[in-house]
Amino acid sequence: MRTRRIVIRTLQYLALAAFLLFLGFPFLWLISTAFKSSSELNSLAVNLIPSRPTLTNFTDAFEAQGLVRAAVNSIGVSLATTVIVVVISVPGAYVLARYRGRIRALGSGWILVSQIVPVALFILPLFFILRTIGLVDSPAGLVLVYVVYTLPFSLWMLQGFVAAIPVDVEEAGATDGATKLQVLARIVFPLLRPGLVATAIFTFVAAYNEFFFALVLLQSPDNFTLSVALSTFSHGEGLSRIGPLAAGALIASIPSIVVFAILQRRLTGGLLSGAVKG
Amino acid sequence: MKLRHTIAALAAAATLFSLSACASPSGSSSAGGTTTLTYQYFNNQPAAIAATKAIVADWNKANPKVHVNLVQAPADNLQDKLTTQFSGGVAPDIIQNDAPSDILPFAGYLADLNKLLPSKTIDDIDPAAKKSLTTGGKLIAAPTEVQTYLVFANKKLLEQSGATIPTGDTMTWDTFEELAKQTTTDGVRGLTWGLKSPTSVFAYLGTGFGATYFTGEGKDAKAVFGKAERQVPERVASMIKDGYIDPTGVTQSSSDVLATFYGGKAAMTVAGSYQIANIESEAPAGFDWVVLPALEGSKSASQLAAPITLSVNAKSKNVQAAADFVDFYMKGENLAKINLADGQVPPTTSGLAALAKLTDGKNGWAQVLASGKNLVTPAFNTLTKYNNWKTTVATPGYQQFLAGQISSDQLSKQLVDGWAQLNQ
Repeated sequence: MRTRRIVIRTLQYLALAAFLLFLGFPFLWLISTAFKSSSELNSLAVNLIPSRPTLTNFTDAFEAQGLVRAAVNSIGVSLATTVIVVVISVPGAYVLARYRGRIRALGSGWILVSQIVPVALFILPLFFILRTIGLVDSPAGLVLVYVVYTLPFSLWMLQGFVAAIPVDVEEAGATDGATKLQVLARIVFPLLRPGLVATAIFTFVAAYNEFFFALVLLQSPDNFTLSVALSTFSHGEGLSRIGPLAAGALIASIPSIVVFAILQRRLTGGLLSGAVKG
Repeated sequence: MKLRHTIAALAAAATLFSLSACASPSGSSSAGGTTTLTYQYFNNQPAAIAATKAIVADWNKANPKVHVNLVQAPADNLQDKLTTQFSGGVAPDIIQNDAPSDILPFAGYLADLNKLLPSKTIDDIDPAAKKSLTTGGKLIAAPTEVQTYLVFANKKLLEQSGATIPTGDTMTWDTFEELAKQTTTDGVRGLTWGLKSPTSVFAYLGTGFGATYFTGEGKDAKAVFGKAERQVPERVASMIKDGYIDPTGVTQSSSDVLATFYGGKAAMTVAGSYQIANIESEAPAGFDWVVLPALEGSKSASQLAAPITLSVNAKSKNVQAAADFVDFYMKGENLAKINLADGQVPPTTSGLAALAKLTDGKNGWAQVLASGKNLVTPAFNTLTKYNNWKTTVATPGYQQFLAGQISSDQLSKQLVDGWAQLNQ
């Protein structure tokens, strides 16, 4: 019996390791490519570990496309978007989850419809609106667009977390004499923390990775975000600069990893266990 | 507590950032007697960027009252960007684009260079290149660089096979196929050819057999895929079937197959002339390579005139100044610089002469220059829906054909019917 359990556990870990390798391999390959020389990238040898690691791709990437400036722009735009979206999403999600009626139906309908409209359909009208209010080629304009773009899904996501908090918890707080605001601040908000973290990560990553709006709305290289700056390394068939592109993409992935590393501990669930005693 | 502090700090940073910058859109401006023009380009190769910067620096030095500001745009999504820039009235003064079919949709927004450039400059342009950029009598762009397709060969493998290395300005397809056969041995293919996107190279080389692919113009344009149009794809398919072409390379891009070429696993590769710049800088030490003469079909050794272009925004506040910069850019020595960096051919008489002088004796350049002397511009070169057809109909069709999934007749039907549907 014990032997059987060990075999099963070993197989489970092997499967997990294989899955991790499957997920992690593209990233490992990106790291490998970033450190390979031009001649190694053009050779038939398939090495995960570069034979002669070089930092040339990194210096090329930094020199050519102003990646530092683009990284600052991307982080700034993504943080601004995340903060605004989270601030708007909390009350919105609470209303959607708790108040059943026309508002919920309309809100849910709007969220779902907004997810199926192709970007190409509204990019021109959006451009005209932003031009009218002087926000074309401006990080502030891009933040505004990203807030509108990511808000529906963030609301949808967060309202699921609100719905998972038992109404009983709020009623228990009210019975103990807490006002509605106190219930929200002291009971709902702390219990909602994993949802807030998940929403923040989703919004940050969505804004950080977004390309099309940034490409179309930003005109000056000084305002380019990382996704646009990196795309200048790519040029259809045969002219992409793989080494600097990989080096740039590797650097570009660091902020997302850092944000996730900081917030992931808060993502764990289980906060509700024992919240209501039977 | 920590999370609360983090959130407060992020909120403060985000708010400050949002309020920070509201820059003005690109375009020309005039201040203190100095005019500033914006030139949007898409080159991403270090040598070409350096050449562009050098040309602009020369202009700025020679014209202190008209400053040109260089702005790089991503090449892959340039059309989307230009669409919104023109529609939104924030397009730059001078615009670089990739081909006639890419710039033609914006013809209404562009100035007529016939009226703005000196006649000497206009007369210097290759007639086919000029025709490809003329619509309704209006010259909407100046052609600056033309890509041609060439055969690059591993000299050592060619010599080892006992084949005679072709010389002169042209080489027939029969000679080329015979070379592929002769150089195919155990472990070495005669040819590795990146045909992931085969439509362009087939169109370029097909013109040598008199292929036109389309008749009529605009809404009346009809796709044709007859004997002349079938020549190149059928010859290529036959070489794949006979094992002269590396089958893996057929699914890759022309850059992907260079590793096979450099590794001595294939004697030849067909690629755009731009690869001469990559091969020069990336080929392993001791790799002896040559460029073979231009491929000649049954009619000629022609190549498609699909140049990179420079246009002037008709709504620029300084149209003439922008055109003056284009004129400066078109000078023979400037076109020679940029074409040398990009591995392309200048579509002007003075540019060709200047580049010939600049590359005198340099490996492969005599063949590159010779390949650009016989440009043609079939009707499809100026069809605005051609790019759409190329991506959604022709490329998948050719891929199926080369994989042996459909016959030549089925391919013909797919290409013709596909166009009819698109052009409704």
